[in-house]
Order: sequence, then structure tokens, then C-alpha cells
Amino acid sequence: MDALYIELAKLRKDATLTQSMADVDKIIEQLERAKECIVQDPNSASITLTKLQNPIKSGFDKVTEDLTKVDRGLKAYGKALNKNFPVKALPTEYDALASHPNLINRAIAMHMLREGQFSVASTFLSEAQEYPPQPEPTVGTPNPSEEDDGDLTSLKSRELQERFSNMYQILHELKARNLHPAIEWARMNSEELEKRGSNLEFELSKLQYVWLFLGPEVNGLPDDIHNGYMGALQYARDHFGRFQGRHLLDIRKLSAALIYRSNLRDSPYYRTFDTLTAWDDVSASFTREFCSLLGLSAESPLYIAATAGAIALPTLLKLASIVKEKRTEWTTQNELPVEIALPSSMIFHAIFVCPVSKEQTTDTNPPMMMPCGHVVAKESLQKLSKGSRFKCPYCPNESQPKDAREIIL
Amino acid sequence: MADHITSKLNQDTHLILDQPLIRLPFELLRKNFKVAHFTVEKEGSAVKTAVRETANASLTASSSPDEVLKNVDSMLARMKGLKRKLAACQEEETRLQQQSVSRIRHLAQLYEMQSLDDVKYEEWSRTRLDRLLVDYLLRHGYKESASALSKEKGIEDLVDVETFVQMSKIRESLRNQRVNEALAWCAENKKELRKMESKLEFMLRFQQYIELVRTQEQSKLLESIAHAKKYLLPFKDLYPKEVQQACGLLAFPPGTRAEAYSEIYSPHRWTILANLFMQTHNTLLALPPVPLLHIALSAGLSALKTPSCHSSHLSSSISPTSSSCITTSVCPICSTELNDLARNVPYANHTKSHVESDLVMLPNRRVYATQRLEEYSRKAGLADGMIKDLRTGEVFKMENTKKVYIS
Ligand SMILES: [Zn+2]
Ligand SMILES: [Zn+2]
Repeated sequence: MDALYIELAKLRKDATLTQSMADVDKIIEQLERAKECIVQDPNSASITLTKLQNPIKSGFDKVTEDLTKVDRGLKAYGKALNKNFPVKALPTEYDALASHPNLINRAIAMHMLREGQFSVASTFLSEAQEYPPQPEPTVGTPNPSEEDDGDLTSLKSRELQERFSNMYQILHELKARNLHPAIEWARMNSEELEKRGSNLEFELSKLQYVWLFLGPEVNGLPDDIHNGYMGALQYARDHFGRFQGRHLLDIRKLSAALIYRSNLRDSPYYRTFDTLTAWDDVSASFTREFCSLLGLSAESPLYIAATAGAIALPTLLKLASIVKEKRTEWTTQNELPVEIALPSSMIFHAIFVCPVSKEQTTDTNPPMMMPCGHVVAKESLQKLSKGSRFKCPYCPNESQPKDAREIIL
Repeated sequence: MADHITSKLNQDTHLILDQPLIRLPFELLRKNFKVAHFTVEKEGSAVKTAVRETANASLTASSSPDEVLKNVDSMLARMKGLKRKLAACQEEETRLQQQSVSRIRHLAQLYEMQSLDDVKYEEWSRTRLDRLLVDYLLRHGYKESASALSKEKGIEDLVDVETFVQMSKIRESLRNQRVNEALAWCAENKKELRKMESKLEFMLRFQQYIELVRTQEQSKLLESIAHAKKYLLPFKDLYPKEVQQACGLLAFPPGTRAEAYSEIYSPHRWTILANLFMQTHNTLLALPPVPLLHIALSAGLSALKTPSCHSSHLSSSISPTSSSCITTSVCPICSTELNDLARNVPYANHTKSHVESDLVMLPNRRVYATQRLEEYSRKAGLADGMIKDLRTGEVFKMENTKKVYIS
């Protein structure tokens, strides 16, 4: 990039239209002077004009020369561009998504809403409804575009917008160190949250206790009986009862900390009372739970997918140049023919690859566990056993195919 | 497990999607220069000729000093016109160069990052998504949304609203069955279009011809013949099929049952013309023919998709991912936004299993890591030796679980 930057700086310095503008001005000046001469002495008209021919010609020669410089500069920059940023062909021949513009529009609208860009989203929704996109059928792809129709209108955008605006309000309050709206939301949804195995409500209440405990010097709240360790104690009495069943141990720890309050730093409870990352942590948990209850991923799927796409593209392009020769299209097959490495944050499912067939298991070819605890894909099991007693490929154990059980990872 | 996880950032290959970002201002700079060059040549030769002719006329005394003055005035007017045009080009030049600076700076930021885990990478990648979104919106003619988004994100220098708005205007006029705007555009880019052997202008002229014939009015039919002679026949070697169709068309008025000719009268041709124009426009400016978002997404959807994402097993999609939190985030492909869209792309290839260690199967056949089960059950306040299914909430005795070995 540096080399390109230097080349661009050269272009801006030496190869602009500024000089040719100045030289055009000079021609204008000459014409004006000639005009003045003729006005003052009409008899000089023919001699003035005759004398004018050469200067005008060389004036334009100068302008052309200026332009040649710009042209040369542009060519040099173009060369630098090709060298530092060589053109790489994009896989555009086969656009599997062109047949689903309505689904893409829906994904974009939802992305804008979840990012809190409510005004952009509403502009987009009205534009997209006014000019609905035209699906372009793609060869070789089952085409569900008829079903997609009107997806944008069926997207309950107002409802979704209200939900997300509620989420942003609560997050905003969390940023201002106010837990109450978040706690209230968690309490209202406690049943659902519990089903997910989430402790959000307790985590939030715990932080509220700790926050009060740390007192006015840290939390900046009024210095009265509702603050400080007395305030925390009162809070615990009022609110921790409902958590006793599930979080007794934690609650004991929290109240025991009261004893150490004068010397918290050296106490075993120090970590519980360190709020350095606690606020960010509860904000992240809150966002995750909030989105999950809507059936949505915590991070924008569009963001993750576009980022994963940029990471995957170099590998896929290398592959595309190979399959082109073989005249097959990777986009129409069940499984990508090549493995793509992604950051660990982009792995969401457990993946089981059958050690015998080297294939990923699917609904139709699920993982099967033999009595010895080893797992193979169903199709491999059928091939190994041929219906009768067989030996596990990974241990001496022998079993019947019917003893194997399908597992859910 | 190591080979399908990476945080390596290879900048040179990572910037595949960002080629138009740098290329487009360059193409526009070149186009701008050509306009300036053309104007200088044209006005230059006109003024030089005028000076010479005026001088000659004056020498042979065939024109009076007044006439000479009048000629000089018109030369001055021409020169001032040239100056105005050059000034406009120069302004555009400055804007494009400034834009290139911002864009190279933006790309250079990526080179300051060490890996994909760099917090700055996330920010950069978010800006990239915004750029891809603006590109998508503009290609669909959603001008207001595109402007609003780029303004809100402060990325005006990194997107090409103006270029696409011009393109959309012409495309829209074709959809509304008007050829004039597109023909003017062809005239502006005559040289380049000839170089790339574009068929666009011919097709526009053909459509004009069809519209003349469609009227079935005497005078228009006569006009159509002249039109065909002037604009279509010269291309009979290059586009024999179309020229032949055009010649035959006079014998088949609209409403004809001859399929080959009834098709020619179809309004669908306007859509085809609009698309042909868009393609030609994009090729000319080295822009990809499809939205960059499509390219990024189809690669990304496949890289992320697993067989579980469209599995019929209830909620098997919600599988714990990181050991630091018990509850999980919904997978982006399982999430409503992308689930239907991902249905027709292939799923990612994996050559090795990727599961947690120390797995056990519950009596309901669901498999979890022992440690996670225990932690979850403890937090759920279960008695010792009892465990709770993370997804279904069912409670079992630990002794009823079975160890699972995945190699
Ligand atoms: Zn075994
Ligand atoms: Zn999934």
C-alpha cells in the first residue's frame, strides 16, 4: 500500500489539470491583448492577427504538453496499481443469490434494525417496497423465489424495531451503570431464560448487590441507607430469596463478604467484587439472551457471514480455477470440496466427521454409537456390519448393528 | 482440530472484494482526463483555424476590422467555454484524487493488524460490510437508503453514490421505455464502447426501429426504413441475426402470431436493454457484474453452514460453543436472517471432527461435555449426581449417562 500511496502523491503533485488551466489562461490573455490592439488601432487588425497565429499555436502546444504529463502520470499510477494491487477475478459467473433478492432484502432490513439504525432501516423498507427487486433465476439452483415473494412485507419490521429499540434502551442504561431496566426485563422473561439455562437475572442482581456494596465512592449514588453495605444487605434480603433454590452457594459467598468489608482486597471474595469487566460482561450476556429469545444470533449474521466470506474467498477462488477446468460448479454441490479455516469465534456447531467414511454426518446419515462408545456414521456402520455381528474398527469390541444408537451432538 | 481454525490474516489475498474500491476512482480519473483532452483538442483546433482564417481574410482585405473584432470575440468566448469545462474536470480530478487517498488509507489500516482476532479487524470488517451494503443498495437503485447509510457511518469517501445514481437514472429511463439517455451515454463513451465491441448502441437503435414499426403509421414506417438504413444495416455482418429480424419485421405487424416476431414486440425487451446497459456500464468502469455482497455472502454462507443448520432435530442448532459461557448464541446460519437464504448453498467441508472433550450421552441420546453438564447442573441447584439437559431441561442421574469416544 505504501508504494501505491507514494505513486498517488506524485500524481497529485505533478500530474493535474492545474497547469493546463494556467496555460489556457495565457491564451485568453493573448486574445484579449490582440482585441485591445485592434480596438485602439483598427488598421492593425491584419498584422495583429497574423502575429497572433504562432503564439496561439504554441500556447495550445503547451496545453497539450501539460496534458501529456497528466496522461503519463495516470499511466504510471495505473502501473503501480497493477503491480501492488493486481487484478484478481471474482467468482461472478454463477450467482446463487441472484434468485433471492427478497431474502437478501429481509436480511439487510433485520441487520439494520438489530444494529439500531432505525431511520436507515425505515428508509430502506419503504424504498424496497416501492421498487421490489427482480429475482434473476439462476441455473442449477432450486428456485424458491416464488415463496420468497412479499417476505419484506411479512417481516414484522415494526415489532422487530420496537424490540430492538427496547434492547438498546436497556443497554444504554447499563452503560450508565443502571441495572434496573435489565433486571426488570430478565424477571419478566425468567421462565424462558431458565429454560435456556441462563442465569442472567441472578447475575444482574448479583452485580446490583456488589455495586451497592462498593458504596458511594465507587457507584456515585446518594450516600444514604440504600447505599453501601447496608443498602446491599437490604437489597439481598429483598431480592435474593427467589434465587435460593438455584444459587444458594453464591448467595452465601456474597453475604459472607460483608464480614470482610473493611479489607476486601485481601479477602477470598475480592474477585467477586471486582467490577472491572463485570459491566461489559453483563451487557454481552444480556444482548445474547435478548437475541436468543427472539431466535436470533447475538451478533449480526450478515456481519459474520460477510466476514467469513472475505476469509473464505481466497481459498474458494483457488479452487474455482481448478474446477473450471473440470467444468463442475462448486456452488451446486452439497458440500464444498475444500476445507476452509475460520477463526474459532465462527464455529457454532459440533461437527462429527465419520472416521471411516471421512464424511460429515447429516440427518439422513446420522452418527451412531456402538456399545463400546465409539461413533461412526450410519452408512459406515451398515457397510461394516452387513447386517450381522461385527467388530468395532477402533477397539476389539464386537456388537450387533441393532445395538448401535443414534446420538444427537 | 488446528487446521480448520485460523486467525491468520493475509492482507494481500484478503482484499479481493476491495478491488473496485481502488479501481473505480482510477477508471473515473482516466475518463475525466479523456474528457479534458477531447475538449482541448476540439476547441484548440477550432480556435487555431479561426485565427488563421481571420488573419487571411483580413490580409486579403476581404473582412473589415469590425468583422475581425467579432471573430476575436467569438474565439474568446470559445476559450472561456474551454476554461469552464477544464475547471469542471479539474474539480472532479481533485475529488477523485482525494477519494483515492482516503481509500488507500482505509486499506492500509488492514496492514497494521496482526490477525483476525485483532479488535481493530472487527471495526474494519464492519466498515467493509457497510460498503458492501451501500454497493448493493445502489445497484438496486435504493439511492436514499444508500446515502443515509453512508452518511450515518461517515463513509462517503469509501462509496460511489454518484456513479451508481447516474447509472440508475439511465437504467430507469430504459425501464420506462426511453432510449435517449442511454444513447447520450453511448455517445459520451463512444471510443471505449467500440474498443470493447459493445452491442449496446446497436440494440438501442434496434429498439427505436421496433417502436417506429409498432405504430404502423405510414410516416413512421417510412422513418423506420431510413432509420434501419442508417443505424442497422451497416452492422449486418456483425449482427446478422438481428439485422435479418429487423428486415423481416415490416411484414409482421404487432399482434402477429409468428413467435419469432411477436417476441420482438414484447415489453420484456426493455428489461433486457436495461440489464445490458447496466452490464456495459459496469464493464466499462471495471465494476463487478453482480453486487459484491452476493459474492461475499455466498462464500460466507457456505463456509459457515453445517448439516445441522437445516436439520429437523429440534434445537440441535443451539450447541454450546465456548467454554466460557454456559448459554449459547444462535448460529448465524440458523438465525432467521440467513436460514432460508443458505438453504441452497453447499455446506462447509470438514475433514476432522470438532467436538468438546470428555463427552457423555444422556438417556435421551443427546451428547454433552461432562464438565459443562456438571457446571450447569450445579448452577441449576441440582443435587449431587443429578444432571440437567442443557437444551431440553430434562433431569437425569449421572450414572445413567454413557461415555462417548470420538476419534
Ligand atoms: Zn469400539
Ligand atoms: Zn447453524
